Order: sequence, then C-alpha cells, then structure tokens
Amino acid sequence: MEPRKIQSKKRYLWAFIIGTAIFVIGFAFTNMVAYLQFQRVASLQDPTSYQIFQDKLQYSLFGEDICAENTYIKISQDLTFQGQVIGDLENKLGLDNKNVLFRKRFYTLIQLEHFEFVKLINEECNKNINSILFFYSNKKTDLENSEKLGNILGPIYQRNKENLVLYSLDLNLDSDIMRNLREKYDVGEESVVIVNEEHRLTKINHVSEVEQYLE
Amino acid sequence: MSFVIYLIYASIYIGLIATTFYIIGYNQDKKRVKKLYSDDELPKVSIIIPAYNEEKSIARTIESIIASNYPKNKFEVIVVDDGSKDKTLEIARKYKSKIVKVLTKKNGGKGTALNMALKKCKGDIIFTMDADTFVPPRSVREMTRYFKNPEVMSVTPSMLIHEPKGLLQRVQQAEYLFGLFIRKAFSSVNAIHVTPGAFSAYRKTFFDEYGGYDETNITEDLEMSLRIQHAGFMIEYSPESPAYTIAPNKFKPLMIQRRRWYTGLMRNTWKYKGIFHPKYGDLGIFVLPIAWISIFFSVFLINYMVIKILFEVQKELSFLISINFDFTSMIGIGSYFFERVLFKIFMNPIIVFFLLFATVMGIYMKFATKKVGKVKKLPGTIVVYFLFFALLFGFWWTVSIIYVALNKKVTWR
Repeated sequence: MEPRKIQSKKRYLWAFIIGTAIFVIGFAFTNMVAYLQFQRVASLQDPTSYQIFQDKLQYSLFGEDICAENTYIKISQDLTFQGQVIGDLENKLGLDNKNVLFRKRFYTLIQLEHFEFVKLINEECNKNINSILFFYSNKKTDLENSEKLGNILGPIYQRNKENLVLYSLDLNLDSDIMRNLREKYDVGEESVVIVNEEHRLTKINHVSEVEQYLE
Repeated sequence: MSFVIYLIYASIYIGLIATTFYIIGYNQDKKRVKKLYSDDELPKVSIIIPAYNEEKSIARTIESIIASNYPKNKFEVIVVDDGSKDKTLEIARKYKSKIVKVLTKKNGGKGTALNMALKKCKGDIIFTMDADTFVPPRSVREMTRYFKNPEVMSVTPSMLIHEPKGLLQRVQQAEYLFGLFIRKAFSSVNAIHVTPGAFSAYRKTFFDEYGGYDETNITEDLEMSLRIQHAGFMIEYSPESPAYTIAPNKFKPLMIQRRRWYTGLMRNTWKYKGIFHPKYGDLGIFVLPIAWISIFFSVFLINYMVIKILFEVQKELSFLISINFDFTSMIGIGSYFFERVLFKIFMNPIIVFFLLFATVMGIYMKFATKKVGKVKKLPGTIVVYFLFFALLFGFWWTVSIIYVALNKKVTWR
C-alpha cells in the first residue's frame, strides 16, 4: 500500500496550541479563585477583629452590657469559615506560602482575642460557652492523628455550636504568641485538644469523650 | 504533588489536545467533499443476518430490513440460522420470498455463518446485521451511497440503543451517542477502526481479495475493520443512517459482552500492531496511540481510586461510629456553606477540567444526535453516564486485561 499522508499538519499545531492554552487557562482560573478566596478571608478578618475589639472596649471603657446579644455566635461562624478557607488555601498554595502564613498568624490573633472575649462573657454574664483549643500539626509525623482529631471536632462543633467555640491553632506556626501558648498549655510536638482549658485529649475515638466535658 | 496527581494532569492535558483535535476534525469533515452514489447509480446489496437463538427479535429485524427504501431489484436478504435451538429458523422461514433467503447450518459461530452467506451473496455491497438490530428504511440506501469512492471498503452507521430503559442501558446509550461524535471526527482523518458487527456495510471485492471472516476470532467485526485499515483502504461513516441494537440490561451479560469486546480489541490490535506507524497517517501516529494511552491512564486511575476508597472504608466507618452516624453534623450547613462549596469546586483544577470535559461531551452528544433524530431523556442519560461509566469502564477493562494476561479463553456467552 501507498503510505498515507497526514491530512493536515496545521490541525495538530492548532490542537496543541488550543489544548495547551485551555490547560493553562484552567490552572490560571483555579488560581484566580484561590486569590478571590484569599481576598475574602482578608475582607472578613478586618471586620471580625474590629468587632471584637470594639465590643471589648465598649465594655471596659463605658461598661456597655455585653450579655444582651449573642454577638459572639456571628463572630464564631465567621471565624470557623475563615479557618476552613485558610485550610483550603494551604492545600492549594502550600504550607509555606507567605501570604497564607500572614493570614494564618492574623487569624490566630483574632481567635485568641475572641477566646478572651468569650471568657469575659462567661464571667460577666454567668454563661457557659464552652471552648475547645485544638492545637494541630501539619507535620508528617502527626498529620494522620491531627486530621483524625480535626474530623471528629467538626461534627462536635456542629452538634453544639450554640454554646461552643472551636479554636484551631497551628502548633508549628512561627510566632511568639504561639510559643507562649504552647508553653502555657504544655503543648509538645503532637496535636492536642484542650476542652474548657482543663481537659487535655491527644486521641479521640468518640464524640462522647469530648462532649462529657462540655457544660 | 504525588505521582498520581501528575498522572491525572497528564491525562487531562492529553485529553484536551485530543479533544481539540477531534473538534477541529468534526468541523473540517463538513467541508470534505464525499463521492456519493445517486439513486440511479445504487449497486446491488446483500444483507446477511446470522442468527443463533434469536426467536424474540428475528421477526422484527427481518421486517425492518425488508422495509428499506432501497430498489427491490438490487436488494437481497440472507438469514443464516446458526443451529439455533429455539424457533429462530421457523420464524425466519415465514419471511422466505424472492428477496429473503433462509439458510441453516450446524452451530459454528458467527464467523462461520457470515462466511457461508458470503459465498451465496450476489450483491456488490454486503451488509452484516445482527438478528437483534433494527434499522429505519433510509439507512441501507444512505450507507451504500458512500461506496462510490473506490477506496471505501466499509461504511458504518450511527449505532444507537433500541429503547433504552434502566441504568445500564442508559449508560450504554450515552456511550453510543458519544461514539457518534468520535466516529465522525475519526472519519475526517480516515481513522475509523471499529465497524460495528451489529450493522455495517462492506465492499464484496474486499472479501474476494482479502478473504472472509476469521472464524476463530471472537470479535470478527473488529478484525475485519483493522484488516481494512491495515490494507490501506478507507472506512466511512454515514451519520444519517441510524441502526438500533438491543443492549444488555443486566450486569452479567453486559460484562460478558464487554469482556469479549475488549479482549478482542487487545488481541486484534496486537495482530495488526503494524498500524502504529507513520505510513498509516493520522491513524498510526495519533488516533490509535492516543486511544491506547487514554485507556491505560483511565484504567490505572480508576483502579487506584477504587483501591484507595476500599482502604479508606475502614477509616470512614470508624469515623461514622465515632459520631454516632450523625450525618447532619458532618455537613454543617451554615451561612457560608454554599460559598465554601463553590470555592472548593472551582479552586480544584481536576474538578474544573472534569466539568469542562462533561460540558464538551454533553455538547458532543447533542450535536451527534442532530442527524439521527430526537433522543429521549438526553440530559438524564448524560448525567447517568458521568456518574457510572468511568467505574464500569475501569472494571470491564481490568477484567479483560486479566483475561489477556492469563491467556484465558473468552467466549460469546
């Protein structure tokens, strides 16, 4: 038989150019969405911290009643969302991404500010808002246990979100405040869950193991 | 990033280039000038219907083919009963006429029945038709027109599923619909390498020169199409000629059918491996290599996912036990739920490209059905296809690869 000719070399060239362009555009699109998500976190962090700051000052300077409304619930929802988005961004952009790390440090500060505010509400308003400090690790040696704890804490938060606030803190975060926190709560290199500042758990096999400490 | 992620991205990249190539081909095929017989020029045709235990469908098949709007003086039908144990022969004999001949023989397989009929055929063009295939009156005439080009040795129809019902038939319907687009794209570069055994047309002189069907081959139709390509001839596609086949509606018969097809594809491709050569043009350097690369990538990835999921089952189960199977607590629909779901979907390149492919395939199918008429419940069929086909495809191929690797015998039933 006579060798067949390739019908159109141009078709290959166009397929390569268009296919490659779509491939690149696809990745660019997902990075654009990640950027939007990053902006979203940034746009939420400022008002959240401002709100906490304002509420605390209103109370300390002018003695404003902080018991009247459950403002902390709205702020808590914002905080949970921010934490989830920062987790998504870590997965997408990497644990070492400077912008994400900055947002994470800021997020840690807001969480601690909120934690202090909730303690104040508990004291002043005779309330029992529970708190869970979840020190997690992204290091390979503890990643599996950390993920397991995180997976179980999610549903615990959903079941008790009316009077529970969950604070997720990266124990490997390079910041002075994290070093001090680890010292205060005696946190080593492994993930730890601290319920109401009293009960330490390093392994959780059932929701009841945490819920028994909730008030 | 893990090796598997790289492999997924590589599959996506190859898929994008191939898809673009075929879309360009699909559009260019419209401009291709085809030599077609006019009504006056139509040659004599013979339709061979091999049948084995087809008492349920044989009558309707014969009725549908004799209703063809083809000149009756140039038209014959040969039904070959391959030693059926049911009433196939008795039913076929009721249709005996000037046009319809009925032959019978000892059971020996489809290839032997086709070869027996080939010796008796008077037509210049031979159609082979399964005894559970139905065609509208125009299909034979429209397909035959393409044989005006002397290079054309075979013409394939638009294969569709007859009245698809249930999950498995709907999945197959979508697969066949997608096949219509691919077939047209392949025809633009003379790269059709499968002629459906259910209904296809061949030039008689090809059989005279290159021999009849390989009687030991379990996919004799595929062997014939690769033989045509190997000999350097053309296979055309007639999009305006639908042919409807009854698809398996249960898992086991479907599995047996696919095992036969895929082992046949592997063995016949090996037999004609010389086609993977630049002298076969686009078929040799692009279409076949890409098809096989896609198959191997898909099978590897689907198996990897399934194994991974199986390993995760225990972990997931212990997690569910730990939360007392309280599913509502897992979802946590709050004020940011949908926003986060959207972020997660559109931040993941794999999901974004999957959605792109799904959209393109949906549009493919819609376009492909333009010439065959309205297809019922198309959107639902496409959704069912995307939910289940990959899993079934991976399973069928894995089983077939094991059969070939162990050199196990594959049978029709």
